[in-house]
Amino acid sequence: MSGQRYAEDVNAGDELPVLVKNASRAQLFLFSAATNNPHRIHYDKDYAAVEGHPDVLVHGPLQGAWLSQYVTDWAGTGGRVRALSWQNRARAYPERDLSFKGKVVEKREEDGRAVVELEVWEEDDEGQVLMPGKATVELPGRG
Amino acid sequence: MTVEGLIPEETKGLIGELLSEPLSGVITAKEAQRFALAADDLNPLYFDEEAAKAAGHRTTLVPPIFLAWSLAPARPVSEVREDGLYKSAGRRVALNVKRVMFGGEDWEFFEPVYAGDRITSETRLKSLEEKHGSSGPFVLQMTETTYTNQDGRVVAKAIGRSIAR
Repeated sequence: MSGQRYAEDVNAGDELPVLVKNASRAQLFLFSAATNNPHRIHYDKDYAAVEGHPDVLVHGPLQGAWLSQYVTDWAGTGGRVRALSWQNRARAYPERDLSFKGKVVEKREEDGRAVVELEVWEEDDEGQVLMPGKATVELPGRG
Repeated sequence: MTVEGLIPEETKGLIGELLSEPLSGVITAKEAQRFALAADDLNPLYFDEEAAKAAGHRTTLVPPIFLAWSLAPARPVSEVREDGLYKSAGRRVALNVKRVMFGGEDWEFFEPVYAGDRITSETRLKSLEEKHGSSGPFVLQMTETTYTNQDGRVVAKAIGRSIAR
């Protein structure tokens, strides 16, 4: 987390700083445990092959949780995430860098509040977009 | 020759219906923090009461998308299938498919969710759509879940997408 972000410092076209995640197999296990998800494709490589996967997979919801973190941290503790959506389009694997990127699409004023629309996405280490998404964030003003 | 589609007629009748009885439970700080840590999210608003109060909150927050898992009832190992998933609880959306993959979510957040809140969720089947992709036909299944807190205020809504093929 860095300091608070203010509406005055944000403009359409701005790029968000990149966040890189890299899940260990133990982390996948911990996420399965924290969400009570016993699906074997996340911890049993032999079984993952039965479902056609070359390795265990990073959970779609873990990638969603990272995206949520990415946007929430960008907004700062004084900002508010109003909406967040994402589509899991391709498989993500452990022990590989996964990069979260984004840009500001629009900034507008709504009932005296600054509202920012973001386009956000996750890429793998070959630049393939695994998960496109969008977010709507309210930011505080400096005033 | 009639080709059977992926969506049986009787399953289409579930569209718009509740998929289970409403689920309700208190979300503890500990389980919210376990979720945040599993996603290596160290946001002080989830862990540090003073930081939460300084940001205008009454206590620590729950990572908002944790709502999706926080209310699932604990279930016995005997209800786990060969693939590791639990057998369906509630009303089963029967489809002529082998696998269901998580396809993403659309969230709207209206109010903060605090550690200790009692949340009630209701999930309806929103739509079923048969589509044809590069790897064959599939069903796009959408559910809509509403989360309400102990004061009767809707804190969040989520549309969940899954791909069944």
